[in-house]
Amino acid sequence: MRSLSRRAFFQTGGLAAASAAGAALAPEVAAETPAGSDLTERAAQQRAMLFDSTLCVGCRSCEVACNEDNQLGRAPDAIFQGRPAEDARALAPDVFTYVTFHQLEEDPSSAAFGKVQCMHCIEPACVSSCPVAALHKTPEGPVVWDGSRCLGCRYCMMACPFLVPRFEWESRNPRIRKCDMCWDLQVKGEKPACVAACPTGALKSGTRAELLEEAHQRIAAKPRKYVHHVYGELEAGGTNFLHLAGRPFEELGYRRNLPTRSYREYTRPAMSTIPYVIGGLGLALGTVRWVANRRDEVAHAEPGGDR
Amino acid sequence: MTPRPTTLRMTPALAVLTGLAAVGLGLIAFRFAFGLGAATNLSDGYPWGFWIGMDILAGIALAAGGFVVAGVVHLFGGHRFHALARPAILTAFLGYLLFIFALMVDLGRPWNIWWALISWNHYSPMFEVAWCVMFYTGVLALEFTPALLERLGWERVRRLWFEGVPFFIMALLSLFTFAMTGSAQWTGIVLAILALWETLMRTGVMRRDRQMPVLLIMAGVIFSTLHQSSLGTLFLITDKLGPLWYTPILPALFFLSAVMVGPAMVIVEGLMSARALGRRPEFDLLRPLGRAMPYLLALYLVVRLGDLVLRGAVLEAMRPAFTTAWWWLEIVLVLTALAVFATPELARRGRGLLLGAWATVLAVVVHRCGVAIIGLDVPEYARYVPAWSEVLITAGIAALGVLGFRLAVEFLPIYEDEPAAAAPTAQAVREPAVAPAPVHHRIPVGG
Repeated sequence: MRSLSRRAFFQTGGLAAASAAGAALAPEVAAETPAGSDLTERAAQQRAMLFDSTLCVGCRSCEVACNEDNQLGRAPDAIFQGRPAEDARALAPDVFTYVTFHQLEEDPSSAAFGKVQCMHCIEPACVSSCPVAALHKTPEGPVVWDGSRCLGCRYCMMACPFLVPRFEWESRNPRIRKCDMCWDLQVKGEKPACVAACPTGALKSGTRAELLEEAHQRIAAKPRKYVHHVYGELEAGGTNFLHLAGRPFEELGYRRNLPTRSYREYTRPAMSTIPYVIGGLGLALGTVRWVANRRDEVAHAEPGGDR
Repeated sequence: MTPRPTTLRMTPALAVLTGLAAVGLGLIAFRFAFGLGAATNLSDGYPWGFWIGMDILAGIALAAGGFVVAGVVHLFGGHRFHALARPAILTAFLGYLLFIFALMVDLGRPWNIWWALISWNHYSPMFEVAWCVMFYTGVLALEFTPALLERLGWERVRRLWFEGVPFFIMALLSLFTFAMTGSAQWTGIVLAILALWETLMRTGVMRRDRQMPVLLIMAGVIFSTLHQSSLGTLFLITDKLGPLWYTPILPALFFLSAVMVGPAMVIVEGLMSARALGRRPEFDLLRPLGRAMPYLLALYLVVRLGDLVLRGAVLEAMRPAFTTAWWWLEIVLVLTALAVFATPELARRGRGLLLGAWATVLAVVVHRCGVAIIGLDVPEYARYVPAWSEVLITAGIAALGVLGFRLAVEFLPIYEDEPAAAAPTAQAVREPAVAPAPVHHRIPVGG
């Protein structure tokens, strides 16, 4: 089901692209929507993070640091209970990041780790979908949430391909909760809390361009150690959080086969037809009305002609 | 104007509706006291569920009778359907009010809804949906106003309304265009088109509708078209929807199904309300609606199946699974409706009309719930099944709607046979669109 529906999703992408080409005629709307390459260029100088799974020992210091810095209110004991998690389900309103644990089949005494948190996409699905721009991509790179305007419609959760945003289901005034890449620390020039806490250097922060280059260098330096893919370089149009791994990413709980186009591209064709619909219907309906009137008048003018 | 004798009595049906509404309102209070998690089975993997499918997607589809009939009567010259226009507009208006109410229950932080007016994100389909809801509800309220003013006998207000509405509509549609595109050029184009028609009508080149400003009806059709299709656009950004439902033409499919279900809803409402109120159904009007149905149903079916073929998803419909069965249910319902409406012996009779119309309505409900509930698949999470409280809240809101319709029919001039019975004029019966006119000799037709 999964693979089939994903494949279908890509195939439909082709059709969507075709209609996008038609919609590109829109003079101002199309010109104003930034092209993917421009955005990627801008993202190159933005803050980003790199996770190297081959260096991660699963100590979960990052989780503890995240919990403290964001005042998520969990006791350290609570963090280390209830193992092991394999995918994004472990994220919660009070869990912004999570180290996933994957026992190796060929060597049960050993394990590999993945990391789940907001990917801070270059052109995020959540930001594109938010009706009131409560979620937005900061110029510095982190994707943050402004609670004062959020409606709680949960469209961001429907849109996010990484299943990241979390909702406070039990609250009377529920918030959308997710990692903000410690935006407050980063604008002060400090590292994100998880990066600062990592004892092995598995987490690193920097600009996206630096980290992307470093990731490719690491792969080139030890080609047999790494999967030759930087997760997040192209996924969902590219993200500000990059991942390296020594094992296939799907084994580490990552969603694979994500499109390389940003998710905004899937709604853009339909959204850019709006002015054509308004203008076209405005002209067509008025014309229809005129024709109908004339037909009536002609019918009434001829005695005996019904209708 | 003398008050009419009331026919409103507490019947068992009315008692059941009141009970459902009361239970629903109680559960809504519970939901606001303890959060969405307490009243629903929604989860982080399935953040949308029964309410989005039924109240919002299906509910809005079923309100489509309003714009289809208003368009046919006031734009396409279908004057003979005039008697159907007011009930259809009333149902649509009530439907939208209920929809907004249901939306407030579903939103986590509904008190922030006003942000949608000032914090614009024209990339978001949800932004388009929010604006369409607000503006179309406003348009429906304006379309419904004459019935209210007639009842109150405020003739001067009615004339002011008639003169002012076109300008209000120009402002509304221009603002809408600007919010959706951020383009002054497009805003100018739309404003120019609307101003053109209004000028033609005021200078007498084109005839005015003396009952209903043409621009108002146009705006209703435009907002409806956008709203119906934008509900489909919503799902284009999610990769959680299965191949039987996900298609880039989802917006077009939603619009087509809305146009198809519009007349069907009018038939259902016409026959059911006639039965409930003890009136004779307007068979001479409902039958021609039924004659249009085969074309609409066939068009929908061709697009729905053709899309599946072009996307190479046909085999998906053969896989034994509950989701597949749901898809087949939709197709079988469309085929049933098509068979009934295409068979003159069946479509002539009230029963046949009702059967075909119900099959159409159910088919659209099944399709929209397929998109919003059944077709969603997030393998990481346990499948979503609606909680009983979700179903009861929806039932309660629907019951409120029926009660509201009953009250409106009681106190406002909705059905034409009633005023006609009070003051029967042959002219009013023959051509109601132009004739019943306390207005028509006062408003200058030409400039």
